[in-house]
Amino acid sequence: MRRRQSDVLVVVPAFNEERTIASVVEGLHRSVPDADVLVVDDGSRDGTARRARDAGAMVVAHAFNLGYGAALQTGYKRAERAGYQELVQMDADGQHDPGDVPRLLAPLRRGDADVVIGSRFALPTGYSMGVARSVGRLFFQRVLVALGGARIADPTSGFQALGRRAFGFCCGDFYPSDFPDIDVLLLLHRHGFRIVEVPVTMAPSPPARVPMHTGLREVYYTYKMLLATFRSALTRTEHG
Amino acid sequence: MTPEHLDMERLRQLALEQPESGVTRAIAIVVSLCFLLAVLDLVRRGRLREEYTPIWVAVALGIMALSVWFDAVRMIARVIGAWTPSSTLYFCGMLFLLVLCLNYAVRLSAIATQVKLLAQEISLLRAELADRDDDERGGPLRDAP
Repeated sequence: MRRRQSDVLVVVPAFNEERTIASVVEGLHRSVPDADVLVVDDGSRDGTARRARDAGAMVVAHAFNLGYGAALQTGYKRAERAGYQELVQMDADGQHDPGDVPRLLAPLRRGDADVVIGSRFALPTGYSMGVARSVGRLFFQRVLVALGGARIADPTSGFQALGRRAFGFCCGDFYPSDFPDIDVLLLLHRHGFRIVEVPVTMAPSPPARVPMHTGLREVYYTYKMLLATFRSALTRTEHG
Repeated sequence: MTPEHLDMERLRQLALEQPESGVTRAIAIVVSLCFLLAVLDLVRRGRLREEYTPIWVAVALGIMALSVWFDAVRMIARVIGAWTPSSTLYFCGMLFLLVLCLNYAVRLSAIATQVKLLAQEISLLRAELADRDDDERGGPLRDAP
């Protein structure tokens, strides 16, 4: 793995994404040639790590699958130790456009935000959520707004930019191993981090992929979000 | 109260006052002894860590104490409004298992966090080690941008 060459690290968590990972990494090198690219291989059983390395990315590989959130957090930890100032996270399945990275970084650099979320709300795609999740989403949006936060339309977006203080904070043990959602945003907000949302273009997830949450899992997911929000709402913070 | 009607409270007292059989008592003592020996043997063979044994030793001794001093079970049964000593024992056993399971879930959560931390740490350290190997080979192996 090569040393830090830049102040910006793009973290791409990947689990069995050998079909798309190379083009994602190459797209990043084209769109943001200054940034370092780190692929966190979350215990893939295919050639994800090799393809990422061949495409010129740095690779950190988990020995076994830990979950999307844990893979992201490994990226945060690497960024913190190597001394990066800014971090962009992006999915490995090709649904995010590397060309949008500068748009995500802009509010960080202007000093307007600590966390920037790239949201698909500008573009009504064929993406649909289940009922339970939509209701849960609405509820948590209200909670965040009630606590004085911004209205975040797309809190599960995997396309985000974080400043050094924000990704350093997310290295904590509270960070979920599966899918960070609005509960993490709530916690960030309560710790005084400023969150903004910018519109980005997003291709719908490739049809071959299983939807992230279906049926019972979706109910469980909403339930888990409720508990996590409950916890973050009750956690005492230094900002009150 | 007419004789046609069952006096429930009297019936309960009768149930509670039934003498337990010597066989039951003997079985309880044998079971608790075997259990205690099994726990000690697991420790001896290194399959059970010492810090997990107090609860099981306490269970074994508890069963033993109750089989000797069975009136204690009757006393508890009276206090909690149970009908028979056996149902009291079932209730206590269930309660104990419930608390124990919750305790294990808490321990599992802690272990899951530790495993995640270790796995992340190993992957990061391996990456850093690769950096050093590159340095020793005279500069990192880089693809041209």
